[in-house]
Amino acid sequence: MSTSTADLAHDHSHDDELVKVSLLDRMPGRGSSAAWPLGLAGVALLVAGTFLSWSYTGDVLGDLSINFYPGGVQICMIALGLVALLFLLAHRGPLHRLGEWLDTAGAVRALGLGAVIYMVIVVAVISVQSGGLINVNPGGWISLLGALVLAASGLMLVSRQHRDPLFAKTSSWLEILTIIVLMALLLFGAAYALGIGDGPSFSLFLIFVATVALGLTRAGVFTWVGLIAQKNRPVLMLGAFTVAFLFPFTQGGSDENMSIATQVLIFAATALGLNIVVGLAGLLDLGYIAFLGAGAYVGATLSTSAFATIGWKPPFIIVVVVGALFSACLGLIIGSPTLRVSGDYLAIVTLAFGEIFRFTMGNLDGNNGPDLTNGPNGIPAIPDLAIGSFDFGQPHTILGITLGRFANYYFLLLVLAAFIILVFSRLNDSRIGRGWVAIREDEKAAEAMGVNVFGLKLFAFAGGAFLAGMAGTVKAHHDVSVTPDQYIFLESAFLLAAIVLGGMGTVAGVLVGATILKLLPEKLRFIADYRLMIFGLVLVLMMRYRPEGIIASQRRKLEFHEEDEGLAERLEEVHLEEAEAKA
Amino acid sequence: MTEFLQQIVNGLTLGSLYALIAVGYTVVYGIVQLINFAHGEVFMIGAFGALATWSVLFKGQTGLWVLPIMVIGAVIVSVVTAVVMERIAYRPLRNAPRLAPLITAIGISVFLQEAVRLFYPGAKSKLSFPEIDVVTGAALKIGGLNIQRAAVFTVGSLLLSAVLLWFFVNRTRMGQGMQAVSEDPDTAQLMGINVNRIIVIAFALGAALAAVGGVAQGLLNSNIDFRMGFLAGLKAFTAAVLGGIGNIQGAIVGGLTLGIAESMATQFIPGQFGGSAWKDVWAFVLLILVLVFRPQGLLGARVVDRA
Amino acid sequence: MAQRSVMTMGASLLVASIALAGCGSRGDNSGDTNSGDTGGNAKVAKIGVIAPLSGDLSALGKGIQHSVELAVKQANDNKTIPGWTLEVEAVDDEGKADVGKNGATKLAGDDKVVGVVGNLNSSVSQQTQPVFSAANIVQISPANTGPSLTRGADPSAPARPYKTYFRTCTTDIAQGGFAAQFLIDQGIKTVATIHDKKTYGQGLVKYFTDAYKAAGGKVVAAETINPDESNYAPVVSKVAPSKPGAVYYGGEYPQGGPLSKQMKAGGLNVPLMGGDGIFDPKFIELAGSTSNGDLATSVGEPTENSEAGKKFLADYETAKYSEPSAAYGGYSYDAANAIIEALKVSLKDAKDAKSARQPTVDAVGKVSFDGVTGKVSFDEYGDTLVKVITGYKVEGGKWVSVKSANVS
Repeated sequence: MSTSTADLAHDHSHDDELVKVSLLDRMPGRGSSAAWPLGLAGVALLVAGTFLSWSYTGDVLGDLSINFYPGGVQICMIALGLVALLFLLAHRGPLHRLGEWLDTAGAVRALGLGAVIYMVIVVAVISVQSGGLINVNPGGWISLLGALVLAASGLMLVSRQHRDPLFAKTSSWLEILTIIVLMALLLFGAAYALGIGDGPSFSLFLIFVATVALGLTRAGVFTWVGLIAQKNRPVLMLGAFTVAFLFPFTQGGSDENMSIATQVLIFAATALGLNIVVGLAGLLDLGYIAFLGAGAYVGATLSTSAFATIGWKPPFIIVVVVGALFSACLGLIIGSPTLRVSGDYLAIVTLAFGEIFRFTMGNLDGNNGPDLTNGPNGIPAIPDLAIGSFDFGQPHTILGITLGRFANYYFLLLVLAAFIILVFSRLNDSRIGRGWVAIREDEKAAEAMGVNVFGLKLFAFAGGAFLAGMAGTVKAHHDVSVTPDQYIFLESAFLLAAIVLGGMGTVAGVLVGATILKLLPEKLRFIADYRLMIFGLVLVLMMRYRPEGIIASQRRKLEFHEEDEGLAERLEEVHLEEAEAKA
Repeated sequence: MTEFLQQIVNGLTLGSLYALIAVGYTVVYGIVQLINFAHGEVFMIGAFGALATWSVLFKGQTGLWVLPIMVIGAVIVSVVTAVVMERIAYRPLRNAPRLAPLITAIGISVFLQEAVRLFYPGAKSKLSFPEIDVVTGAALKIGGLNIQRAAVFTVGSLLLSAVLLWFFVNRTRMGQGMQAVSEDPDTAQLMGINVNRIIVIAFALGAALAAVGGVAQGLLNSNIDFRMGFLAGLKAFTAAVLGGIGNIQGAIVGGLTLGIAESMATQFIPGQFGGSAWKDVWAFVLLILVLVFRPQGLLGARVVDRA
Repeated sequence: MAQRSVMTMGASLLVASIALAGCGSRGDNSGDTNSGDTGGNAKVAKIGVIAPLSGDLSALGKGIQHSVELAVKQANDNKTIPGWTLEVEAVDDEGKADVGKNGATKLAGDDKVVGVVGNLNSSVSQQTQPVFSAANIVQISPANTGPSLTRGADPSAPARPYKTYFRTCTTDIAQGGFAAQFLIDQGIKTVATIHDKKTYGQGLVKYFTDAYKAAGGKVVAAETINPDESNYAPVVSKVAPSKPGAVYYGGEYPQGGPLSKQMKAGGLNVPLMGGDGIFDPKFIELAGSTSNGDLATSVGEPTENSEAGKKFLADYETAKYSEPSAAYGGYSYDAANAIIEALKVSLKDAKDAKSARQPTVDAVGKVSFDGVTGKVSFDEYGDTLVKVITGYKVEGGKWVSVKSANVS
């Protein structure tokens, strides 16, 4: 259907771009030779300002009142200034050759504008929290001025003709080094961000990260990073797991962040299972949390908790298998209507199943059915896991660093997540995965090509449920208690949102989405009451402006932007070139 | 026997409420094949609109004459919400893959609930709904049956709405345009029908009925809260599917059937798996069975193949 | 502090060449010195509060927080514990188990925390108990009524699951028993029970039913409602033909109020009785004019009846907190004072707050003083020894206390 509105809406977005470009062109001093030195001056001011005191009082945003000793919030600006300097030097100067591949002007523009937003917020926070603009010290003003100058320079710089970074030929040691550096930055950034106690500082750090990321994206660095990540997948995976493995050691024995981290992992593991169903096979499941719940209930009833209702207490490894299989059976049951139902109707069937699961777990208490789950009271007092002589409840000391209870579970969950990621990516690359994608794209065509549509759909449901069930059995011990109200519809919506936000069908996307959805609410407690509202708004905006998610698989991207012929051509070209290189 | 009739009465009341909401799902689905998940929230906002109208204009009044103005207030708030929602969130996604509008709908649903909770004074817990003469108060007793006064209002407003709706769809140009678009949007467009306008009208129509439903629920239960839209919306969607989605008569039949089935399940399913604890489970089981074995619903859907 | 160390590392990497980095010392003595009503080098110990500070139940949670703040402020003003300054660290659990566990972990990770008041919900406490227990931090709940929290899974063979857990309010067993006797005394021999399928409601109805049957009453119907819904007409219609003398409702006022109203609108003109969950002015508002005669039990004497209670309410008033002390204010105040009482012993010779955790747990088990809600002391399970329950009745749009009794 090509109604006029759709076309209009599409044209509209093009219009926007045109307007933006012409506005940029009308910028006074656009393309003038003063732009570049101006940028350098901006960086100098920005960085110089950070070495002076920003705030009169010492209790805002950490402590920004000491001269010549920048605090965390200030160091972010130094880092941002250095990145901007790098791009300026690539635009013209010693790093000239590098600049050929990058849209340096765009990057400086993004960084400059981001820095302005950052500094304005800093100034606002200082004046609000300590009562008046008067409390902003000269350093803050100098940095703000620097940011403004940098932004102006960015707006005045004209992008040079540059080559598409997708076609950059780089030596593999450089690629691997880049990945290692990025991973190290990730570990460092995560440890730092989690250590930030107060909400405003945390938000500022997010703005800083977003600005740098945007700058690098604008420059095209991430296009190249995406390419090398694909080329060096084993290195990337290894690097990512090393980072994840090292993370608990940065926490100095504190369990506070580890508790959040384990929840992120459980959530991510479940979301990865859902990603098979939604992202690969294209079947919308709105009751997925029930599979996690099924695993958790199995884990709880077969545990040695005094409230457990079943006498059989097998070792944990068997519980995991039983929980996963039970969950997979439910998956088969829920998947079976797919023979007859598809699309929105399927979504509603799954939603209904999810609600039935929750009601049933709440009812099986001996009064309204057999006594299996203790009804709404759930099964509390589930003991900690103990595998061999290793008690997960006790802190352990490794290399002089104490690892608490949650760190123990973290490592277990990490192994689980690694397994799930392995399964996911092997499936994705296999005949089965291609079958799923075929079904997602066009069910009828897939069937005509001999794809076993029903079987594959069932397998998607059962496989996804199996993985979620495994996560559930660990969750039961980790959470200590299992109650029906942990498995409400909103949780399913959150899982789906993690996939949608992060990027459907990609592992990295789901991990990013899960982290955002579980971590931000914990850290942004100062907006506590508004969290859900913002969540709703973000979903709507995301669907409107970037339906493919933060980290999108390129195929998916194309699907959501069918009209974007440029993108399609570009992808095709790259694929051709790769094929030639192989031949 | 009295018990049976009593539960029929309860079921019809509940069913009328479901039907009022279900029409909104069905009209929108019939035209754009979109499950407007946030429709339950439109219903909820209607109830709050009525309450706001009452507390701003007539605080303390209980006369029956207040009721029509409350209904108008509810309808205005709901219709504005629905139209803005369509314009801002759904229209840009008209040609997007199916997943996108559904997730948008979940987003809107959460957003509206939270917005009401945070910004309507006192809405963090349940708010009591005003008592209006004639339509609330002690139950009417007819031959051993207790009939809530608000139940009469609910069933009455469903009947009235149904008649008006029938007239609108079959006897007005706009209504016929709606039918045309639901048959074949492209051809309708070629015939000079403003498809966008029809879609907006479909949203508005559903919202208006949902608003009436919101007032009815407020009177029936004597309280409203920001969460009331979720379950009601889900049940109403069940009703719409049960009757055959896209089919307006179907929504009404489906609503009444579901309402009666639920009341009956409370009373007559014996043993451990009966009673009020399991009635929602049976309602959802009914939904799944209908979707699997008769996806076109009781009366047959307008758009069977598009599901 | 991990942040600082990471930061220092980053700082030294980024600005290694700048010699000035040695100036000043940040982070050592900044945040902790408070405005200073005590002498300069008082050591700091914190009392945690973990309760729903946002969301539906925030009115109750804020009341708990402020009541603890009041107790701590008074202790500081009176220099109850020489050489130490007490602070309150409030954490939001949103009434959700997962969030509660994160909050508890956060409190347990703070070396200055010596005791915690909370949670509001039994279901949240189930998950925070093990966290505090592992850290040896005493936890006193002002509001948990679920018996298994102190007596374990099997009521016939009670075993205390967590040595660190205490509570100042009584359990559902006491409330249910009192309510049963109360109805029998009024000559009501048949009831229908309805609950909301939540931990609290179901437990209450269970203990009520046991006691009511034992006292010779008859339960003619047992039904449940779905708390997400607000139309209970089918349930009312099902209960009505069995002609109960009263309806005992296990649940909270948001559902209890409308249920009372719909009962009467549906032709079931008998009183509705509930526990402390419906004992709230909001119940009467929601139940409307037909709620006269409805009954509720609540734990303890009415706060405004005792001298200590009046003083507490007056002090609370003077302190000008933004929210009222709500239903659990008195219990929270007593809980905080129980911790402070224990700290008198445990902090006396302690070199830091963390090493005082275990002694505090031991000392709380032995406290005994006159609190706002009666005598505060605990039995071997951590339950309060005072089990006073008061029955209330709605008269003229207000809760009026009818009778109090000690049911221990």
